[in-house]
Amino acid sequence: MKILEKIAVPVVAFSLLIGTALLAQAENVKIGNIEPMSGPSASLGQQGKAAREMAVEEINAAGGIKSLGGMKLELIYADSESKPEKGVAEAERLINTEKVHILSGCWNSAVTYPTTAVAERYGIPFVVPVSVADKITEQGFKTVFRIAAKDSWWTRDQFAFLKDMETEFNSPIKKVAFVYENGDWGTGFATQWKELAKKAGYEVVLDEPYPSTSTDLSPVVQKIKRARPDVLMLVSNAADAILLTNTIAEYNVKLKAIIGSGGGHADPSFLKATGKNATQIFDIVEWETDVNKPGAKEANEKYKAKFGQNFSGEAVDAYLAMYVIKDALERSASLEPAKIIEALRATDLSSGPGMIVGYDKVAFDQTGQNKHAALVIVQVNDVGKGLERITVWPKTARRAGYTPVFPMDVK
Amino acid sequence: MTRKTLERCAPLALLALALALPLAVQSATYMHILIVLLFYAYLTTSWNLVGGFAGVLPLGHSAFLGIGAYTSTILSLQYGISPWLGMIVGGVLAMIVGVLIGLPTFKMRGAYFALATIAFAEGFRVMVENIDKIGPFALNGPRGLQIPPLGFGLGKMLFADKEPYYYIILVMLVVVLMLTAFISRSKLGYYLNAGGEEPEAAMALGINVARAKLIAMAMSSFLTALAGTFYAQLNLYIHPKSVISLDLSFEIAFIALIGGRGSIAGPVLGAMLLRPVSDFSRIYFGDTLPGLHLIIFGVILILVMTFQPRGLQEPLTRLYHWVIDRLSSDRRTA
Repeated sequence: MKILEKIAVPVVAFSLLIGTALLAQAENVKIGNIEPMSGPSASLGQQGKAAREMAVEEINAAGGIKSLGGMKLELIYADSESKPEKGVAEAERLINTEKVHILSGCWNSAVTYPTTAVAERYGIPFVVPVSVADKITEQGFKTVFRIAAKDSWWTRDQFAFLKDMETEFNSPIKKVAFVYENGDWGTGFATQWKELAKKAGYEVVLDEPYPSTSTDLSPVVQKIKRARPDVLMLVSNAADAILLTNTIAEYNVKLKAIIGSGGGHADPSFLKATGKNATQIFDIVEWETDVNKPGAKEANEKYKAKFGQNFSGEAVDAYLAMYVIKDALERSASLEPAKIIEALRATDLSSGPGMIVGYDKVAFDQTGQNKHAALVIVQVNDVGKGLERITVWPKTARRAGYTPVFPMDVK
Repeated sequence: MTRKTLERCAPLALLALALALPLAVQSATYMHILIVLLFYAYLTTSWNLVGGFAGVLPLGHSAFLGIGAYTSTILSLQYGISPWLGMIVGGVLAMIVGVLIGLPTFKMRGAYFALATIAFAEGFRVMVENIDKIGPFALNGPRGLQIPPLGFGLGKMLFADKEPYYYIILVMLVVVLMLTAFISRSKLGYYLNAGGEEPEAAMALGINVARAKLIAMAMSSFLTALAGTFYAQLNLYIHPKSVISLDLSFEIAFIALIGGRGSIAGPVLGAMLLRPVSDFSRIYFGDTLPGLHLIIFGVILILVMTFQPRGLQEPLTRLYHWVIDRLSSDRRTA
């Protein structure tokens, strides 16, 4: 009997908890979030959770959804473990059992694909803060809305940035070199680069994949030197980004610009291991803490105080996603999925606490992709406080008082 | 009722219950959990033909699942061939691959065999991840293949509701269980058993142990590949990390170990215990205590292995016989 008593207390407490939770749920807008809470990408899932919580706290504290009589937002989480089949099962559950009004997630593109298909089948709106694979918004679905930029836009923005630099500094670019790791990521970027270079009228003087586990990249660097490109574009993981940067400095290769593609160039270890050699390198990222947007600094401070780290690109997108949802709900004034989808489609958000991203607006195109999503380009430089990553592009987000160095100073 | 009729009726009653279950379960969530449960029971039963009866521990069965999933999906996406046909093609392909792996590896013992199968499955995954196309067949590398949720119907093995999936996998499970029961009472079953426990002794008796194991491997890989097609049609998306993952191979082995390797009911019992634990702990703790369900999984495995090394089927079989005994009219008084 002792054992029974021991079990009975927690069981009763648990059911009470669930009971009250059910009661409380009655008048909330339920947002189901499928994120990798455990498994290999758990830290990203946790960041997404932290950012969503911060946004929803703010929204609820400011009076919830006014057009729905001050209804509060409620977040429900489900763990995908980064596995597509778990994501699908959880989407089914969130829709059928939890009766969520909106879905959001899933960070891993591989989970987001099949999960958005479930939402489409049930006609539930699905807001994707960030999952980069192009295909997600190219399935012809009516219920999917993605806020962040897609894969092909990274390369697009790198070229747009080059064009802008050419005009801004009146320094024409003729020859480009592509050097990239030989995996799916690098070769995918290179395929798009080649097309873009053709369109932009640049001559490709070097197209060089390399294994990112190499311990010596001097043959690659010699090839770069011989090809004499104006601009060198890279896709690298951490160790090879460091090796390339140091070897390029050693061989004194003269270039107008070096442009990284995030990944290794954005890794915290990169600046530590390259030091001065990384000066004036450009890199493309989703977000940088110094972005010149009202409220960005404050939001980052708040986030840092709460969760002990800076906003990452992923976290900012998740934060913004909650404000996009809030905005749509204000306009739909209804919890009917079709009405919410209609409102999301008509989204035209350019201000408010969520808009701390590098671009100016959220508005979705026919496929559900945010047409204004863009990335930011940073330049590594020392402006008196040691080397740091300084946002330079788009111009509207550029750090006040900083002029990018283009072409690079000859060392 | 006599003992004999009871023993005959019990499985039929269970089957009738399983057939009627969708009438009681209205929620798509629970239907999905049940389907995945049956899917794992089926997979583990197929695995059991080699892993249980032949006494070796293959840990690379996800490779066969992958072959099945990819074959039928590519055939249906690119050539419009019904997954039902693709399923068989995938099964035959997997069977050939299974035999090719079995030929050299069945000479190995214990951990070496397990390691060799892991190596094969991992190598296979890396290959698929790095191949965009084999001739005209687009594998799509690490990006995987997606089946558009359009054009539902039996011929396309694509359904808007959960019930058809439930009945398909239930039938598949019943068939493979009947096959297992048949084999365990056939000469092949005895050969496998003997070869698994005492290969030298079995060979001394003139049993071709290697041949028996190869036959078991061929059947097992064929059946596993069929489940691959089912997986693809249920989840509508496959990529190397989901269908050819070590996680999946291990989970199959866990279910078999907990349920009881080498028994007919073991895999089903293992799936019935582990799948709900995994699903419900993820549902309830996935948010607040992420990762807890994996710990629960591990603890159960340790406890069962320590206290019930032959799996849960042993005490449950005893219980089953006791119940049958109580119910039957011609009670044995032993």
